[in-house]
Amino acid sequence: MMGSGAFLLRLESAWMEIRENFGRSSLQTLGIVLGVASVLGGFSITDSFRKRSETLYVKLGGLDKLNVQPNNIGNNGTPTALQNANLGLRHQDMDDGRGLDSAQVEGVSVQRNARARVRSAFTDQERRVQGINGDYLAIEGYDIAQGRGFSQSDIGSAAAVAVLGSEAFQTFFPSGGGLGAIIRVGDVPVTVVGVLSQRVFRFRDTPGMGNMFHRKNRLIAVPSTLVQQRMQGDNYQRVDRLTFRIPKVDTIETFAKSLTSVLKMNHRLQDDFRLDDVAARERKRRDTGDAYDIIFMLSGVLALLGGGIVNVNIQLASLKERVREVGVKMAIGAAGTEIFKEFMTEALLLTALGSIVGLGVGVAFSWFITHYIGVPLGMELGSFLWAFALAIAFGFLFALVPAWKASRLSPMEALRYE
Amino acid sequence: MSSIIHTRALTKTFGSNGTAVHALRGIDLSVDKGEFVALVGPSGSGKSTLMAIIGCLDAPTSGTYTLDGHEVQGLSGGELARIRNTKVGFIFQSYNLMPKANILRNVELPMLYAGIGRKERRERAMALLEKVGMPEKANVLPGNLSGGQRQRVAIARALANNPALLLADEPTGALDSQTGAEVLALFQELNAAGNTLVLVTHDPSIAALAQRRVELRDGLIAGAVEGAA
Ligand SMILES: Nc1ncnc2c1ncn2[C@@H]1O[C@H](COP(=O)(O)OP(=O)(O)OP(=O)(O)O)[C@@H](O)[C@H]1O
Ligand SMILES: [Mg+2]
Repeated sequence: MMGSGAFLLRLESAWMEIRENFGRSSLQTLGIVLGVASVLGGFSITDSFRKRSETLYVKLGGLDKLNVQPNNIGNNGTPTALQNANLGLRHQDMDDGRGLDSAQVEGVSVQRNARARVRSAFTDQERRVQGINGDYLAIEGYDIAQGRGFSQSDIGSAAAVAVLGSEAFQTFFPSGGGLGAIIRVGDVPVTVVGVLSQRVFRFRDTPGMGNMFHRKNRLIAVPSTLVQQRMQGDNYQRVDRLTFRIPKVDTIETFAKSLTSVLKMNHRLQDDFRLDDVAARERKRRDTGDAYDIIFMLSGVLALLGGGIVNVNIQLASLKERVREVGVKMAIGAAGTEIFKEFMTEALLLTALGSIVGLGVGVAFSWFITHYIGVPLGMELGSFLWAFALAIAFGFLFALVPAWKASRLSPMEALRYE
Repeated sequence: MSSIIHTRALTKTFGSNGTAVHALRGIDLSVDKGEFVALVGPSGSGKSTLMAIIGCLDAPTSGTYTLDGHEVQGLSGGELARIRNTKVGFIFQSYNLMPKANILRNVELPMLYAGIGRKERRERAMALLEKVGMPEKANVLPGNLSGGQRQRVAIARALANNPALLLADEPTGALDSQTGAEVLALFQELNAAGNTLVLVTHDPSIAALAQRRVELRDGLIAGAVEGAA
């Protein structure tokens, strides 16, 4: 019935109505503000955790990893003979695993830990020493700053060579020039053949925030065979961790199943190893995040519901004030549908304004919470849209009753209303 | 001459059975184009009730009503709204202006509901304010005007869509005699310019200005007297 620009005019009179009744309008939007803030705030918390773990995994070199570690068995009593007879996780397991699907497995890193006294011309410290294979540095995301990593022949011959992390390098060679120098690892003199770039990861670029990768820079690596044969006298080539890198993340689960059955055979059906699928762990974390999202959304919906009910009451109360006004509008030619549209416009404008305030409050709220629990704030556009859409939906729903009532007034009764 | 208002056996009953009030009990009334009719009668005789039905604000209980050639009974709410919007200009004793909208907007409102574009609306509203002698008050809120000024704005608003019929229910009832006379002069001017006018009043001197006086008693027309003006 009304021509072009009618919506804008309705919007304008809605705005006048809201401005003129600021107190009442604020009260009406309170529920919306709180509802939107709680939906957004809740979402932001899960968003933030999600973003943090994502950045962390990207930094760690992706989700394409399947870890195998020995399991401590017989911790409630003496190990059985069978358990004793097992050799634990060893090089054989790595070879069998790689052989399972050599097309999928891009690399396997080996880790064998030891503690040893490490001495250079400058420093003498008790340190953790890591026995690794050739794939290790690449899989763990290290970059070589100087020199080289370990070759096949270094591993095969248990060569007496070492690669140092940036912190280890600085500690043992404070005045530089360590490449080619000899350090003693336990009783074994080894030659430093490589130095690694420093690795830094902070969740926030604030001075107080420590480098999460500090420990990685302390790496003192030698061939795993060197640790096994010359430091520990272990002829079975036992390892502390195997990491399979499988670029096609969605095949990891199948691979893990076949690997488990192979390893079970190797280990005489003993559960003395365990698999850790990083992607699966991350998926699980995401699922938990999703579950929290639903909880937060529900709490937001409850807030919106409560706010909506309050809103309807206020609207119906204010309708009484406005009955005469509706009567006049009808007397000069406003149809019921026009009155309905006017009421809806006002309610939706109010909802939109309340939602914007709510989004602001939600951002502030999220900032405080994430700051308090020490997670960087990571908000996603989707969360804003969800919170906004929910509020508009509720605003619309709860505006219907008062708008309907207003539109059904008879002009004469409305005019006579005292 | 063709009649704008033509009613036959109009009745209006409020309430039901025991407490029923028979406000109108069979009104046959015709008003011709360009006429100025004064509707008089004691309090409670049904003047306002009749005006509401003539103005399509309320529906009769029985009887027929033809407005400007159109049968009114049986029309939908939307159609009635359209008639109120374009064919009738209603002027109330208590002005009934929108308190939060300025004068210009008040006058524009019926045109807004008629779907008239912004520019034309503005021009016509200004012209109407000029006509009622208040061009400089366009941006003022109704609350800042005197009663006489408010009634002038209300008249401008009633004229917004060039209605076939002006209905005024005691338009000077809330005004002092001086301003009342001024407002009345405006009505006479409008009538002289061809507007059909039905005006409710208690004041015999006002009624004397009309071409015709219609007197209601207990919901019936007691007598129609040709006026002097
Ligand atoms: N909505 C209503 N419900 C019930 N009774 C009503 C209603 N409107 C009017 N009446 C009754 O109908 C009768 C006529 O009322 P109306 O207002 O038409 O009188 P009136 O001639 O305009 O009187 P006044 O000069 O005092 O304005 C009165 O008895 C009044 O009480
Ligand atoms: Mg009356």
